[in-house]
Amino acid sequence: MSDTTPIVFVVDDDFSVRESLESLIRCEGLQPQTFASAQEFLDYPRVHTPNCLVLDVSLPGLNGLDLQGLVAHERTDMPIIFITGHGDVPMTVRAMKAGAVEFLTKPFNDDVLLAAIRTALERSRVALSLEAEMQILRDRYASLSQRERQVMALVVSGLLNKQVGGELGISEITVKAHRGKVMQKMKADSLADLVKMAARLRPEAGAIMAA
Amino acid sequence: MKKTTAPISLAGELDQQVAQQTAELAAANAELKKQLAERRLVEEKLQQEERELKRSEVRKAAIVDSALDCIVTIDHEGSITEFNPAAERTFGYRRDEVLGRPLANVIVPLSLREKHRQGFARYLATGEARVLGKRIEMTAVRADGSEFPVELAITRIPLEGPPSFTGYLRDITERKRAEHELRRSEAFLAEAQHLSRIGSFSWRVATDEITCSEQLYRIFQIDRDAQVTFELIGTRIHPEDLSVFQEHIERSRRDRSDVQLEFRLQMPDGAVKYVHVAAHFRGDHGRREYFGAVQDVTERRLSEEALSKARSDLARVARVTSLGVLTASIAHEVNQPLSGIVTNASTCLRMLATDPPNVDGARETARRTIRDGNRASEVITRLRALYGKKSPTAQSMDLNEAAREVIALSLSELQKNRVTLRPELAPDLPLVTGDRVQLQQVILNLLRNASDAMSTIEDRPRDLLIRTEPDDTDPNNHDRVRLSVSDVGIGFEPQATSKLFEAFYTTKNEGMGIGLSVSRSIIERHYGRLWATPNNGPGVTFSFSIPCNPEGLTSDATHASRIPSASDAA
Repeated sequence: MSDTTPIVFVVDDDFSVRESLESLIRCEGLQPQTFASAQEFLDYPRVHTPNCLVLDVSLPGLNGLDLQGLVAHERTDMPIIFITGHGDVPMTVRAMKAGAVEFLTKPFNDDVLLAAIRTALERSRVALSLEAEMQILRDRYASLSQRERQVMALVVSGLLNKQVGGELGISEITVKAHRGKVMQKMKADSLADLVKMAARLRPEAGAIMAA
Repeated sequence: MKKTTAPISLAGELDQQVAQQTAELAAANAELKKQLAERRLVEEKLQQEERELKRSEVRKAAIVDSALDCIVTIDHEGSITEFNPAAERTFGYRRDEVLGRPLANVIVPLSLREKHRQGFARYLATGEARVLGKRIEMTAVRADGSEFPVELAITRIPLEGPPSFTGYLRDITERKRAEHELRRSEAFLAEAQHLSRIGSFSWRVATDEITCSEQLYRIFQIDRDAQVTFELIGTRIHPEDLSVFQEHIERSRRDRSDVQLEFRLQMPDGAVKYVHVAAHFRGDHGRREYFGAVQDVTERRLSEEALSKARSDLARVARVTSLGVLTASIAHEVNQPLSGIVTNASTCLRMLATDPPNVDGARETARRTIRDGNRASEVITRLRALYGKKSPTAQSMDLNEAAREVIALSLSELQKNRVTLRPELAPDLPLVTGDRVQLQQVILNLLRNASDAMSTIEDRPRDLLIRTEPDDTDPNNHDRVRLSVSDVGIGFEPQATSKLFEAFYTTKNEGMGIGLSVSRSIIERHYGRLWATPNNGPGVTFSFSIPCNPEGLTSDATHASRIPSASDAA
């Protein structure tokens, strides 16, 4: 399997389940990676290919729902599919509300599982690609100087160059120069483009500006 | 007398006159003598009467003086005219101190004097007597001022002239006290009967006369005024218990055996009461009687029944609850291999559907399917052994022999896992009483666990030691036997020790957590214990120790007795 083959993580303490899933996943041309406990899984390094997690609810030590609580926020690129030997409604609701792709009870239909896995992997791919884009933007933004960032912020807020100059206490010409640099470094095609980029960066902008 | 015819001389007339007078004198004399005699008679009679009177007086005085009761006589003014020695003693006065004094002032307490005076005055005025001829009780006062209760009877002395009265008084302090005590005692008894819901009775066999205490009426809900007969009692007895009751009555009529009987009553309103009757025969003076008591034990019975019901409800709920938990656990345990089966089979189909078909892969999935199927069935088998309807049987058995059988059965599997088995079975191991099959299951479980624990060990020989020995660590000095299984495997974390025996907990890749939990239950029901200790070197030793002859288990060659199964305990 190549590096770009999507990975399916499986965490289940029962060996029958692990082995059979491993076999099934491999048969589908995906890359299985099985673990017997939540801790073993957490110790495994993160991956950058589309991936998803097939997770049993009842595990020794940290149980599946708690694991979901831990990783769901961080790993938006790893959607979770729950499998369980016995499920109750509250458990299901909790899992789904926390963003699980699917909640299946054993023994489950393999088609249903594989469909869920495919959905999850697609979500993962999208998330990864979004993340990649964001990273590019971040890198570009990081390459801006302090002054260039200030100019960018004011420009995307709708101020004319002259006004920007007034705000920052620099001449219009200087503003224009900085603006050009910003457009270049951010690789924005137009002001509108730059505005969209800024919007995407905004939640993080505060953090970056502080840095 | 000869008549003379001649005129006699004067002297002759004189003679005649003298003679006549003499005759008259003589007659008068005789008359006098007669009167004298009569008078003497009368006098004698009088004297006799006087003597009689005196004797009568003496007799009367004797009676009055020695009377136990106080005898006091008073005149029409109410003044004391007689005061007998008993009265002297009772009231503390000498006779001469009180004669002539008003009775009221002497013996009637100050607070009652006015009433007494009024009553006396009313009688004198109206002739209306409220107290004459009747026994009355009143309070009197002694010379020392102390008041005490007396019983009094007053009569009028039947003589002509102004009225006079005799009063007979008796100090009834003692009697009053005894009466009071008796009343208290009766009240006490009645209260006790009421509190304990016991009614007492007596039954005179010859006449079927039944006497009952207050409480008995209450228990049977019979009117106080009603006459208690067997017929009436019969109407209160629960129809189902009536014949038993009657049998007992008949038996008691014939012989003198004590009665001890419990039966039900049914009240007119339908309410049911439980009663316990105990009676004892007494045959003194030819009177054949039973004396007994009836106790209403309804409340106790009802609470016993409620308790019993609550217990069985609780047991049922516990059974259901644990069954619910068990069911969930079973479902969970079984779903694991089932999931494997289904997934493997599906994968198998996929593999066969590829072009070209992946036959090797398919074969592998089929093999795994079979393995998982067996695994699922093992779960069921083990559970059935523990919770099944079949009662375990206790026999006297040789643990070494049982162990050898298990070893023989698992030898091939152990060898396949490259496990070297080293048996150290003590010779002359005492026999134990237990269920052979169950104990063998435990041994098998331990062997398998040990083998599994070493499945990843590559750097040392996979030695599995199974040892039996007598165990003399029993605090009560009973004979015990211990079996240990030691491996050199990966061991377990200290924190996991308590979890190890939890049903369905497993740390292993192979095998099931349920094994140890079930094994422990089996050993505990043999009155033994199962535990695990890490070895000094690598690996773990699991041991169980069971008594040879547990109390509560009896071994009989012909009649195997029951070890309580889990379904009993639930």
